[in-house]
Amino acid sequence: MALDYEVPEDKRALYWLGDKLIEYRTPVMALVLLTTGMFAYWSFQLRLVTSFGDLLPQTHEFVKIHNKYSGTFGGANNIVAMMAVEEGTIFTKKNLTKIFEMTEGMDTVYGVNHNQIESIGHRTVRHLRVAAGGTLRAEPVMLRAPKTQEDVDEIRRIVHNAENIYGLIVSLDDKAALLRANFIEGRLDYRRIFEEVNEKVVEPFSDEETKIYVAGEPRLYGWVYSYASDVFWILVVTYCIEWILRWMYFHDWRGALRPTLTGVIAAFWGLGFIHLIGLALDPLMLVMPFLITARAVSHAIQMHDRYYEEFEKCGWNKRRAIVASFAELFVPTFSGVVTDAFGVLVILLVPVIMLQKLAITASFWILAITVSEMLLNPIVYYYLKAPEPELVVLREHGIFRKGIEWFTRLHVSRVGRLATLGVWATAVIVALYFVRGLTIGDPTAASPLVWLDSPYNVSHTEIQGRFGGVEPLIVVAEGFDKDAMKDPEALRTMERFQRAIERDPDIGYSFSLADIIRAVNRVFHELEPKWLVIPDSWTDIGGLFFIFFSGSPPTETAKYVDPSYTTAHVTFYAKNHQGDAIRRIIARCEKFIEENPMDKAAFKLAGGLIGVLAAANQELVRNDLLMNFLGFFTIWVILTFTYRSITAGLYLLAPLLASNVIVNAYMAVQNIGINIHTLPLVTVGVGFGIDYGLYIVSRTIEEIRERSDLTESVHQALITSGKAVTFTAATMIVSTAFWITSNIRFNAEMGLLLAIWMAISYVGSQTLLPILVLVFKPKFIMKEAGRGRMGSGH
Amino acid sequence: MELGIWNSIGIVLGFSLFVIALDEYIAKPWRKRSWERRAASGDKEAQEMLRIAGSANVVDE
Repeated sequence: MALDYEVPEDKRALYWLGDKLIEYRTPVMALVLLTTGMFAYWSFQLRLVTSFGDLLPQTHEFVKIHNKYSGTFGGANNIVAMMAVEEGTIFTKKNLTKIFEMTEGMDTVYGVNHNQIESIGHRTVRHLRVAAGGTLRAEPVMLRAPKTQEDVDEIRRIVHNAENIYGLIVSLDDKAALLRANFIEGRLDYRRIFEEVNEKVVEPFSDEETKIYVAGEPRLYGWVYSYASDVFWILVVTYCIEWILRWMYFHDWRGALRPTLTGVIAAFWGLGFIHLIGLALDPLMLVMPFLITARAVSHAIQMHDRYYEEFEKCGWNKRRAIVASFAELFVPTFSGVVTDAFGVLVILLVPVIMLQKLAITASFWILAITVSEMLLNPIVYYYLKAPEPELVVLREHGIFRKGIEWFTRLHVSRVGRLATLGVWATAVIVALYFVRGLTIGDPTAASPLVWLDSPYNVSHTEIQGRFGGVEPLIVVAEGFDKDAMKDPEALRTMERFQRAIERDPDIGYSFSLADIIRAVNRVFHELEPKWLVIPDSWTDIGGLFFIFFSGSPPTETAKYVDPSYTTAHVTFYAKNHQGDAIRRIIARCEKFIEENPMDKAAFKLAGGLIGVLAAANQELVRNDLLMNFLGFFTIWVILTFTYRSITAGLYLLAPLLASNVIVNAYMAVQNIGINIHTLPLVTVGVGFGIDYGLYIVSRTIEEIRERSDLTESVHQALITSGKAVTFTAATMIVSTAFWITSNIRFNAEMGLLLAIWMAISYVGSQTLLPILVLVFKPKFIMKEAGRGRMGSGH
Repeated sequence: MELGIWNSIGIVLGFSLFVIALDEYIAKPWRKRSWERRAASGDKEAQEMLRIAGSANVVDE
């Protein structure tokens, strides 16, 4: 059927395109379905994986140092298991046997670095022993489980006299022992490590008298993976709730089905693309696909509502209604999709591989909405039976429509305008006050990924309570030449460095080569306390190192110093990884390093969990403002082209900026920090507001062409497009808020945050934007007044 | 009960079919009967709905 009826001249091309899509429906549909089938196949190949390396800003100096030395001095992926006894001490035959067997169990867990296990039951934890003839030997504390009470007493004596053990891996009250294991980054299989640690380290040794607590990043991700199946429940329940809500709104199952098709097709394209470019899904990023799908569904609801409206206007002619709704909503839908897709791309600025991959996949996924929502949409409507006319009319008679009508009248009145501006101005001022508390990095000592009372955080708190700190910051002392670490001055500087940084309230304790040399020196001098110092000469130091390390293979000694004695490290164990604490500790380290240069070596920051988190936080701080600016700038540029007006973008961005400030203030008040997990969600969230605004402004322009009166046009836009926006926002907020039931605290908090974000953006676009338009009468809208809709084909 | 991908797909498909059947075979006939009852008792809105349902010339090519 040709386009043989009158259509608006300026949209003739869009009407023609809509009509042609229906005319060539078979090849278009075959092409889209074939491609969707391919993407669907790929999307089912997707796996749930977190790649630790991808979470780090690989170009940052700290991460380069971390990567260079993590294989020898220890990385960020430590598991710390603590065995604590309720009664008595760990120094009994039974308890020491447990520690020994736990250590053996940990040594067989997949991915463990066998040379980087610290426990009194492991061969690498040694003490100095004076052997017959006065020679000194460095021997493991426990070569086997104790068999007699004498063995137990001997182990206790050794522990109490070893500076590298007592207080560090055995608590000062003798009630707890630590087992610290480092995992090889390339072999991190969180799920497998979690299960094997449970089987080999936790379950066989836990009983009424003995408690086992396990913390550390691999353990944390293991818990997150174990909770990931929650997501299916959340998705199923939200799907059902959304279906019911859409069915109630449209009074028709087609209204429930059509947005689902859009969401599912876009999801296949997005998920398939993620697999296609060699990525996997991160369990902490599962809110993201949900959010993009929600956006696809939101566009589809707008289109479906408009289709019903046009169906009535077009005298119940289905094909004309399909073409008209396609053409009339093309600009706001396409513009909304493009602004979202390009807005997300600014995340590329942060040099974190995971975020860059996410930016590309999210952008592609959002662009895929154009296929499912615009290309396929007219064809889907063509094949669906036309809705019953009475249902189309019924949708305009319900209590929802009456409520919107009543509120809109009040809102556009003089009092309403003043009240709206007053409330928004106050809200922004209050938010600006609170937003100063926004943290970069994690704002709490416990892990924000899981709930405070979760087994992980309970373990973490118990270990911190007994040992003071478990999260390592590794500062490398890189020598300029061989034997640099035998230089007395270098070792003394390392010791001073330890004492200086230990004064920070968030540092539990520290360890370095200097501690070993002092302890060995004392043993060499018959345990006289006055010899607990670093010797003055290279030869003395070399001799003592020889005594201590001579019985150990280089693979074992490498965790303290490299075989040529060129490079060693100072490791600080922090009590938490709060953003503020990390920033302060790193600043103290940098100050000390600057004020205490060494002749033979230089300190290099920084490895370990604290080091890499510091790097990530620094990159976020460096790029956050720029990213925000570019995000808004991108949206403004696209809006300028959409409405051929420089000011159009400003009107649409004003409510968005206000919403942004309020949401950031909420994050500050609720202690939600900006980190590599929250950042992309927050950036994608920005787009929601712009979509709502686009539909309202486009409809206002359409209305003013016919009505010429701005107030009436705004009113009409709010009770038509605004009604659909209200319904969309309500369903999205309800379903997103359902994420608060997740066992993964991060997903729950992000769900709630996004629900709040959507609510504020919605309120901004539905209240502040129309009032700004009414008050300032922008030229890009006013110039359309009276241009009339040149026939409408109705 | 732990959900995986396939039983989740099963539940959402089943639920969608249930809603479609509920709408086509229960809700719509019930709504129409309700309007007829209300129209018979003089309700203007119900009469209008029935008028639209009866007079609209739907072109569904």
